Amino acid sequence: MSAIKLEHLVKRFGAFTALKTMDLSITDGEFMALLGPSGCGKSTTMNIIAGMETPTEGRILFGDRDMTGVPMGRRGVGFVFQNFAIFTHMTVRRNLDYGLRMTGRPTAEIARRTNAMAELLGLTALLDRPAQGLSVNILQRLAIGRSAVMEPAIFLLDEPLSNVDAAFRAVMRTELKSLQRQFRQTMVYVTHDQLEAMTMADRIAVMDHGVLQQVGTPLEVYNTPANTFVARFIGSPGMNLFTGKLTQTDAGLAVDLGPLGISPPLAPATASAAKRANGDVVYGFRPEEVTLAQPGEPALALPLNLTERIGARTILHLGTPQAEVRAVFQSGTAIPAGILRLAPAPAAVRLFDAGSGAALQVA
Amino acid sequence: MAEIAFRNVSKRFGSTQAVNNASFTIADNEFFCLFGPPLSGKSTVLRLILGLDTPDEGEVLIDGQVVNHIGPAARNIAMVFQNLALFPHMTAEHNIRFPLVERREPEARIRARVADAAAKLHIAHILHKHPGQLSGGERQRVAIARALVRDPAAYLMDDPISALDARLREEARVELKRMQREAGRTLVYVTHDQEEAMSVADRMAILELGAIRQIGTPDALYDHPGSAYVARLLGAPVMNILPVGANVITAPKRPGAAHLGLRPEDLTVTPDPAATATVTGVEPLGGYTVLTIAAGGEVLRAMLRGQPAFATGTPVSLSAAPARLHFFGPDGTRLAG
Repeated sequence: MSAIKLEHLVKRFGAFTALKTMDLSITDGEFMALLGPSGCGKSTTMNIIAGMETPTEGRILFGDRDMTGVPMGRRGVGFVFQNFAIFTHMTVRRNLDYGLRMTGRPTAEIARRTNAMAELLGLTALLDRPAQGLSVNILQRLAIGRSAVMEPAIFLLDEPLSNVDAAFRAVMRTELKSLQRQFRQTMVYVTHDQLEAMTMADRIAVMDHGVLQQVGTPLEVYNTPANTFVARFIGSPGMNLFTGKLTQTDAGLAVDLGPLGISPPLAPATASAAKRANGDVVYGFRPEEVTLAQPGEPALALPLNLTERIGARTILHLGTPQAEVRAVFQSGTAIPAGILRLAPAPAAVRLFDAGSGAALQVA
Repeated sequence: MAEIAFRNVSKRFGSTQAVNNASFTIADNEFFCLFGPPLSGKSTVLRLILGLDTPDEGEVLIDGQVVNHIGPAARNIAMVFQNLALFPHMTAEHNIRFPLVERREPEARIRARVADAAAKLHIAHILHKHPGQLSGGERQRVAIARALVRDPAAYLMDDPISALDARLREEARVELKRMQREAGRTLVYVTHDQEEAMSVADRMAILELGAIRQIGTPDALYDHPGSAYVARLLGAPVMNILPVGANVITAPKRPGAAHLGLRPEDLTVTPDPAATATVTGVEPLGGYTVLTIAAGGEVLRAMLRGQPAFATGTPVSLSAAPARLHFFGPDGTRLAG
C-alpha cells in the first residue's frame, strides 16, 4: 500500500518551471534518494509527495489511491526537514512521544515505543533532559526519532544531515539505513551529496533543472550513467569528460582530444557504440579507473598540477585549466613528478554524444 | 609575512577551559589547519590570534613580538567568516574596495589593489555583479579578495566553505589551496571536515577539549597517529580499533599494547568457508566498496578497491601487512616502533 507513483508531474511557479514531466515509481519498502544540485527540483518533488505543494499537472498515487488532492495531514507520511523543529522547552522524551500522545495511544504503548526508539538512536540516557542545550547532532537525531516513532509507512527526509558535522554524518548514514531496514518504510531521501545517496539508497533518482535524468541502483548510475550530467555528478571526484573527434589510428578507433592528444584506442564494444554518434563525442573515464602507463603503452601525457592526499586515497589534478583531469590512486602508489602518462582502462571508457550529452550505450 | 606562535596559552570562560596550555608555532606562509570536534577550542584559538580575546595565561606572538595587549586592528590579520559577510547591496567590486575606502586610501592605490586581487583570484569578469548573482564558489573568492586587498600579514578562516554543496566543496578546497600558494601568506584555517583538512593543510593541529593533542603534516598524522583519539578523527571509514587479543586477525605481540588499530583500506579480505568472520554489510560506492564484517565479537569496516562481489553472510578471513598495524597503550597512546 505504500508504493508511491508520480505520473507526469509538472510544477510551475509563475513563469518558472520547477518540475518538467516527472514520472517515477517507488516500490513499497524502497529507499529512494532524490539527488541533484540546488534548484534541480528534488525538494519540489518531495513537497508534492508530502502534500505541501499541489502539482500544476499530473497525479500522485500511494498504492492505487490518488492522493493528488489529499491534504498533508491526511496523507500519513513522516517528514524530517533540514532544520529540525524541536520543542526546546520539552524534555527529549516529550519530544519523542509527542506524536503518539497526540494520537491518543495507550500510555503503556507510548512508553514502550518511545523507549525502543530512544534505545535505537542512543538517546536513552538523555530522555529526561530538556532539549534546550543539546548539540545540533543530537537534535537532528531526535527529529528523526520523533518522526520514526510514529512508524509511518512513508518516510520523507529533506537533507536531514546537511547541518550536522562531517563525522556525525557518517554515523547517521549507517543509522538511517538500519532504521529503514528494521521498519521497512518506503523512504524518500532528498540530498545533494552523492555519497549519502550511494551509501543508503536502494535506487537513486538523479535530477537536474527540473528533469529526471536517470533512475537506477547506485552501481547502475555509477557504471552506466545515462548522460554527461549523471557521469559528472556521481562519483568523488566525478567522471572526467572531454569533447573530441573520432579518429582512426593504426591501433584502431580512438578519440582526438585536441590539446590532450589522441586517446588510447577504444575497446571493440566502445568503438562499435561510437558508430552511433552523429558527430563529435565526449570521452569519459572515472578518476579511479586509470593506471600509470608502461613505456610503449598508449596513454594521455598530462602535466601534474596538484596532489591531494586524503588518507587512503590520493587525488591528482592534471592537465590544463581548460581541460582538467582528475585521477585517484591508492596512497602509497609512487607518483613521478612532472608529466604523467595516464592510461584509462579501455573497458571503463564511456562515450557520450557531444550534442545531446546522452550515453552511447555499449551493447 | 607572519609567524604566529602560542606559548603556554590558556583561556577560560567561566568554568570552561576553552584553551588549555597550548604551545605551537605556525611558520610564515604556512597553510595551518586547526581540527577537532565541536567545542575542542578551534574557534577560541582563532579569536586569540585575531585579538578578539586575550589569554588568561601565556603569550601570543606575531613575528616574535608578544601581542597579548595589542588590539585586533593593529595586528593586521584578516578574517573570513563562515557566512562570508558580503554586503548584498554592493557589487563584488565595491565589497572588495570597502576596507580600503574605510581606511581612506588614495583612489589610484585602491584601484591597483582591487585589480591585483581580482586577477589573483580570477574574478575580474564578475566584479560588476552583486553577491546574489554569484555562485557559492564565486562569493567565496570575493570574500577572500576583500581580505586580500588589506594586505594582511595572515588570514584566518573559520569553516569558510561548509555551507556549499558537497560537489562545490571539493572544488573550492582545491581552489583555496591554489590561492594560498599564489598569494603566499600565512593561513590559519578551521574546519570540522577531516577530508577537507587533509586536502588543504601543510600542517594541522588536532585539538581535544582545548588541548593540542598532535601537530604534523596530514600524512604524518594519518600514518602515525600519536593516539587512538587522533587515529579515529582522520580517515573515513574510521580506523578499526580492537582490544588486543580479540580473535580477529593474526598480529605480532607488542608488549604494553591494549588496543590494535587497523585502517579499513589496509585490511585484506578473502572468502574462506572455514573462517569464523562474516560479511554483514556491503556498500558498493563505485570506485571502492565498504564491507562491514563481524569477527571475534567485534565489528570492523574494510575498504576495498573497485567493485568486488561480496554478499552478506560470506565467511571471510582477514589479514593485514604487519607494517600497517597500529598499537596503542591502555590510555590510547601510540606505542613506538
